[in-house]
Amino acid sequence: MAFLELKSLNAFYGKAQALHDVSLHVKPGEIIAIVGANGAGKSTLLDSVMGMTTTTGDILMEGKSINQLSTAEIVQSGVGYAPERFNLFPYMSVRDNLLVGAYTSRESIESNLAIVHKLFPKLKERQHQETSTQSGGERQMVSLGRALMTSPRLLLVDEPTIGLAPKVCGEIAVALKRMCDELGATIVITEQNANFAMTLASRLYVLESGVVKAEGTVDELRGDARLTEAYFGA
Amino acid sequence: MMQIVIQGLLLSGLYALIAMGFTLIFSVGRVLNLAYGAYLLIGGYVYFTVSQTFGVPKPIGLLIAATVGCAVGLLKYRFLVKPLKGDHVAVEISTLILAVVLQAGVVFLYGDSSKILLPIVPGVIQVAGASVTYNLLAATIASWAILIGLYIIVRKTHIGRAMQAVSMDNKGAAISGVDPDKINMFTWGLSGTLGAIAGVFFASYTQLHPAMWVAPLIIAVAVVIVGGIGSIIGTLIVAHIIGFMEIISVALIAPELRGVFTMILIIAVLLIRPQGLFGREELQ
Ligand SMILES: Nc1ncnc2c1ncn2[C@@H]1O[C@H](COP(=O)(O)OP(=O)(O)OP(=O)(O)O)[C@@H](O)[C@H]1O
Ligand SMILES: [Mg+2]
Repeated sequence: MAFLELKSLNAFYGKAQALHDVSLHVKPGEIIAIVGANGAGKSTLLDSVMGMTTTTGDILMEGKSINQLSTAEIVQSGVGYAPERFNLFPYMSVRDNLLVGAYTSRESIESNLAIVHKLFPKLKERQHQETSTQSGGERQMVSLGRALMTSPRLLLVDEPTIGLAPKVCGEIAVALKRMCDELGATIVITEQNANFAMTLASRLYVLESGVVKAEGTVDELRGDARLTEAYFGA
Repeated sequence: MMQIVIQGLLLSGLYALIAMGFTLIFSVGRVLNLAYGAYLLIGGYVYFTVSQTFGVPKPIGLLIAATVGCAVGLLKYRFLVKPLKGDHVAVEISTLILAVVLQAGVVFLYGDSSKILLPIVPGVIQVAGASVTYNLLAATIASWAILIGLYIIVRKTHIGRAMQAVSMDNKGAAISGVDPDKINMFTWGLSGTLGAIAGVFFASYTQLHPAMWVAPLIIAVAVVIVGGIGSIIGTLIVAHIIGFMEIISVALIAPELRGVFTMILIIAVLLIRPQGLFGREELQ
């Protein structure tokens, strides 16, 4: 059974429709990437899984519909989210930001904190710093760390490397890989650049104007002439 | 001189308590709750009825007043603020109307004249040549105890951190598993509780009157504007600035000008430093 499955999902902002009949699935323990240009609907898709947009169609997690749940309930049922603008708490310390993430997962605070500090040692060194004074890369780490504090089995990460220096991108990529391999998390990332997505994901979905244009493994998509130029920077 | 320092400290403690419930709603819910003074009105009259009219022991009277304040806060959120979600002007106007309606209700039930609320703790003590009523002393001690308790809750507990989180980033809070609606609900209940307790002390410091919601509201608004803050420590500091200004103006200038300097301070801060002295709305 797919861990996460979207069936004919439509998403709306008022009257404007941002996703059209999107269907996709993610297998347990897999990393998949949603690739698309600005405005393709990547963030909308992840927000929709979190119950933060108006949708029709079905969103199933382990076969059970989560459409009707509130965002907090979706988090509680095991979905962690690192959104594109991070949405951190600017005047709280790194540590307190992480502790808010533990709101529904209080019994595993110590073990989750240990995991986060192992993946991102910098967050332990900087635990008393307010996130408003942090760099983009550090904020991305806090954002991922906060998502991990919810004890997620499914992790959604919106453009994990946007605006980050190549070295930091590498660090984030390694951390995501370890979350999958060592923690057994199932991961969905979004990316503008298919080349970076390929280094992590086993399968890609290509999203254009809210529609899934293509899907497949990295090798399958690389052969697709229509996609090569736009997404693989040929 | 000693008199001024002591009276200033006592009054400021009471003002901090008055302002705190208002600040909470402002920073967590981003609502200027102009009916905040109504909690003080309700707290004062409920306590008066329960303890003074029916002779229920004072601590229980205080508890009942606090419970009623809490209930009114919860109802107001559920049936007024939440349905008007996001429309700040509508919320402000309707909360103000609510306060006026409550005042009319109090006039209807209790009459227009003011009533004396007996001191919660009777007696007077001489401190360094200044006479201090036990009542105001008790109010100040209660204020400090409540503010310290609140500080610990906000900084050290899950629900307190969730309140800070909601005040800083709603979406961030939601994706952390915090339900912003529940946190708002909790904050409104807490605010009503604090307001009602402050009302009992305030009424015993001044007197019970159907219009007694206005002066505390101005104090609370002054603290928010001058502080520009959701900071508990900042609230405490600004309450002291305002409390001391009042005591000094009464003692050294003219009792008639009580409160006038607070208004002037509000306008001065609005002109010179509109973001407030501390300049942050988020709860801390
Ligand atoms: N809150 C909103 N209200 C109205 N329209 C919105 C809102 N958010 C997004 N949209 C619209 O929905 C479409 C998809 O936006 P979305 O943010 O999901 O794209 P994206 O793929 O994440 O883009 P980017 O790479 O720039 O982050 C866009 O046309 C956008 O204008
Ligand atoms: Mg986006």
